[in-house]
Amino acid sequence: MAENDAYTRRTILRFIVLLIFGVIACRIGYIQLIDTRYKSMAAGNVLNYEVQYAPRGEVVDRRGEFLVQSMECYDLMVIYRDLPKEGFDTTRLCNILSLSRERLERELRNARAYPRAPRLIIDYVAKEAKLRFEEHNFQGFYTVQRTARQYPRKIGGNLLGNLGEVSENDIKRGEGEYKKGDYIGKSGLERAYESYLRGDDGVKILERDRHGAIKGSYMDGMYDTLPVPGQRITSTIDARLQAFAEELMEGKMGAVVAIEPSTGEILVMASSPTFDPDAMVGRQRGNNYMDMLYDPQTPMFNRAVQARYPPGSTFKLVQGLIGLQEGTLTPENAYPCNGGYHWGNVKMGCHAHASPLDLRNAVAQSCNAYFCYVFRNIIENRKFANVKEGLDRWVEYVHSFGFGRKLGSDFLDEQEGYVPTSERYDRVYRGSWNGHTVLSLSIGQGELGCTPLQMANLAAIVANRGYYYIPHIVKAIEGQDSLDRRFYEKQYTMVDAKHFEPIVEGMWRGVNVPGAGTSSRAYLPGWDVCGKTGTAQNPIGRDHSTFLSFAPKDNPRIAISVYVEHGGFGATTALPIASLLEELYLTDTITRPELVKQVKSLPYALPSRYIRKNDSAKK
Amino acid sequence: MIQQRNNIRLFEGVDRVAILLYLLLVLAGLTCVASAGYEDSIEGFFNLRQNHVKQALWACAAFVVGLFILLLDSRYYHMYAYYAYFGALLFTAGTIIAPEAIAPITKGAKAWYEIGPVRIQPAEFAKIATALAVARMMSNYSFNIHKTNDLWRVAMIILLPFAIILLQNDTGSGVVLCSFIFVLYREGLNKWLCIPLIMVATLFIFSFLFTPLVLLIVLVLIFTISNAMMMGGEWRRHLIFTAGIALSALVLYALSAIFWGGALSGYEALVITVIGGVIIAGIYAIRKHITAIFLTLALFIGSMIFVPAADMIFESVLQPHQKERILSFLGIINDPAGIDFNVNQSKIAIGSGGLFGKGFMQGTQSKYFVPEKHTDFIFCTAGEEWGFVGSMVVLALLCAMILRLMKMGERQQEPFSRIYCYSVAAIFLFHVMVNLGMTVGLMPVMGIPLPFMSYGGSSMIAFTILLFIAIRLDASPSKGMDALR
Repeated sequence: MAENDAYTRRTILRFIVLLIFGVIACRIGYIQLIDTRYKSMAAGNVLNYEVQYAPRGEVVDRRGEFLVQSMECYDLMVIYRDLPKEGFDTTRLCNILSLSRERLERELRNARAYPRAPRLIIDYVAKEAKLRFEEHNFQGFYTVQRTARQYPRKIGGNLLGNLGEVSENDIKRGEGEYKKGDYIGKSGLERAYESYLRGDDGVKILERDRHGAIKGSYMDGMYDTLPVPGQRITSTIDARLQAFAEELMEGKMGAVVAIEPSTGEILVMASSPTFDPDAMVGRQRGNNYMDMLYDPQTPMFNRAVQARYPPGSTFKLVQGLIGLQEGTLTPENAYPCNGGYHWGNVKMGCHAHASPLDLRNAVAQSCNAYFCYVFRNIIENRKFANVKEGLDRWVEYVHSFGFGRKLGSDFLDEQEGYVPTSERYDRVYRGSWNGHTVLSLSIGQGELGCTPLQMANLAAIVANRGYYYIPHIVKAIEGQDSLDRRFYEKQYTMVDAKHFEPIVEGMWRGVNVPGAGTSSRAYLPGWDVCGKTGTAQNPIGRDHSTFLSFAPKDNPRIAISVYVEHGGFGATTALPIASLLEELYLTDTITRPELVKQVKSLPYALPSRYIRKNDSAKK
Repeated sequence: MIQQRNNIRLFEGVDRVAILLYLLLVLAGLTCVASAGYEDSIEGFFNLRQNHVKQALWACAAFVVGLFILLLDSRYYHMYAYYAYFGALLFTAGTIIAPEAIAPITKGAKAWYEIGPVRIQPAEFAKIATALAVARMMSNYSFNIHKTNDLWRVAMIILLPFAIILLQNDTGSGVVLCSFIFVLYREGLNKWLCIPLIMVATLFIFSFLFTPLVLLIVLVLIFTISNAMMMGGEWRRHLIFTAGIALSALVLYALSAIFWGGALSGYEALVITVIGGVIIAGIYAIRKHITAIFLTLALFIGSMIFVPAADMIFESVLQPHQKERILSFLGIINDPAGIDFNVNQSKIAIGSGGLFGKGFMQGTQSKYFVPEKHTDFIFCTAGEEWGFVGSMVVLALLCAMILRLMKMGERQQEPFSRIYCYSVAAIFLFHVMVNLGMTVGLMPVMGIPLPFMSYGGSSMIAFTILLFIAIRLDASPSKGMDALR
């Protein structure tokens, strides 16, 4: 490189450096000395960013009736620095907002720590109170509009879920989506569809003058953004049916789930005991929440998707279907029943009925002995090397019916239930077990645990003759053409459609042929109801009562499962509830008011562990 | 005895001006951090949890590291340049592979090691190593910058860490390596290679910041001025040319407004006249056989095509999420509220400073309204509390530091030392340009710290090492280097 060239380049580089610094210096000079805009903005201490909270999306039922509405309410905020030096009329403020003086003083003390920051004094201020507040012009205080949830029918506490303030974790996970003070769906539908319901908050930028008073909109609102309301969600729930189910279940523990078999849409999902969803909104939320948390009947436990119940005799349907598919059972097979099943010293009791029975009548009569034979024939089949292999095969079948796994519904709280595997028995019995050891599985007892949703899904599978759609609680979302694809795909079981006929026939006979079965009280003239009762033993207290049903037999419109803890026989408690719900759904009328009265006044005694002791209630 | 001799030798040649500038900048930075990063909620000004106390400790640590560097023999830097380079590359690449427990994702980038309370950003150290490696490569006796092969090798040395840092998703730190073009130019890189590279980079960034009309006016001015400079004067003719374009654009706009009801927008009128102007200039150049005009015109047309092309590709071809990715790739951070919140607040803070500022700890704008006030936007505090006068002092200190480094480079006899000094100057210049540029709203927001002033241990130590190696190399002219040859 020539010396001259190096010199030129050095000079040019030096020039570039000076140019860059020169430009920056000019810019700083312009901002600081010439352009007064920035100074005036800063002098009055600038801009006030006011969040415009987006109204949360509303929820309607399948007929368009409101399940959840948004109601206008206000947060009262304070900026401590702006409070008048000479004090203000605290008594009047407390009166207007029905706020205790201690609370106001406490909040003001807190606010003093960050004098410039807006701080929440009290939330859920009603509109009337807000209007009265504005008449008096309390300096330093202002209100922010928010929306609160309101439940016109007061149903579906666990189903719809509730909102709560975002936690630190939510904020971190949301990656900037949430800020402190935002509300987020904590459970149920609110949680599952949070992203649609939420909407987008807007922001309003206000300019303040040098005394701190709001002067007006910054740059004529050029940078303001409007809130985008959350989307409206149409639920698959039938509000009328849901309300009726909750009414019938009142005072009992258990769950009702009804599904439309042809779509997988959940019509009813009632968990009992339930709670008034309005109790989870507003200033009393914390107290009500703690109260429910310590309630021994656990009202916030959503039994419909989380409980693990023994399915009892309703599970015989699955046994029969597996036997038919495996070829170890034909509809004509008949087995004897002498008051139960006897084999050596193994004994499984049964109620009195004609014997021997074929498959159809065994389903109708719910014969225990019959299904002991069916189950043993499945898992002790010669084609398997041992019982272990047979049971593994059986488990595969049971899984295909949706048991022992999550169904993949849009309900995030959904639980798996439990289906025992051969490994479990190997562990418990140290490898030495056989078909008799696990015999209680044959009638849906023992280690088996199913959620009411899974049982309703079983009813839908039988109604559809072999497949189901994944149950879901949302029918449509405003602005969306469709739901997730998985809700439109048929989920097939491992049992062929042709094997369902005898089972369905048995369920039909149980209801429609007088004296032929256990479910005759579920008879609805002209609707061809099919049903299966279940009575599940349990170690504490009375038997659980359950009933599985769908109607009509051909082109079924509703599949339902009712489970009442400690309800006694399946036909006593669960059956009338299911039957009444079916009647209301299919015919829009209730023709048996005496049955309603009877269901409501059933003698019902809970084991002592569910009774709240008085002293714990006070706490 | 030996120790003593070493000491005498070490401190004799040290550039006192550079050290003084360094100490002043660190002090200024500490003052700003103390004012901006002061936590009201933590009791006591000298509490260890206060940001400025932490920063002071970092500064002490950095100074100790600096002294240690002065103690080391200068030829080590030449000897171990490549080892340091590959070591730093592995260290940097390590964050990509390392589990999240020690290399967590922060702000979308996986660029930090986090071990206990200490956070290290290896990219800061990759810069030092790259500067050393570039100096070593280019100081090689057989190296010739005009040979394509040699040029490729230097490019590889610069692009390798660039790629790794991009993979970390830490674009801001990666773009800093572009500053090496400054060094390459000093070492004789063909200017026709430099100019288009710089043009493309600036145009791409500026096309997002300015409206097309402003951009076109700026382009016309830049090219006319540079053409005049290349042709050695003839200012009058160029002035007439520019005025002619402006005038005819105005006339055209007025005519369209009067006769065709405003069929042409201002931008369209200007485009038409500029096209006319280009044709006239072209014909003029052919007649008079002036090649310089051709070159300017070619560059001008090239950038004219490039800007709408970049825009069009950006607007119509890309999907929204791809756009977002490119914007974040450029480091142009979009805030969710849709307002240029950071920059706006930063400008308000600086603007409120006025001529003399509000005084130490009196700034409210930067403290309460500017995000990242003690890290990337530290200059806001200086601007607000020390006013225009103070800002100019800080600016002068930074400028003096860079010019000093260039001067140090020029007085070296060894190419290695010269190139290294220039690299350091270039890295500082880029940091200052981008950081201050974004603070005053001239540049897109990129997360790049201001040397010696921004809060942060990694950058403080890395900048100190960078500077002190240069001072060390400068302090021992040619000693030891000959022994290596």
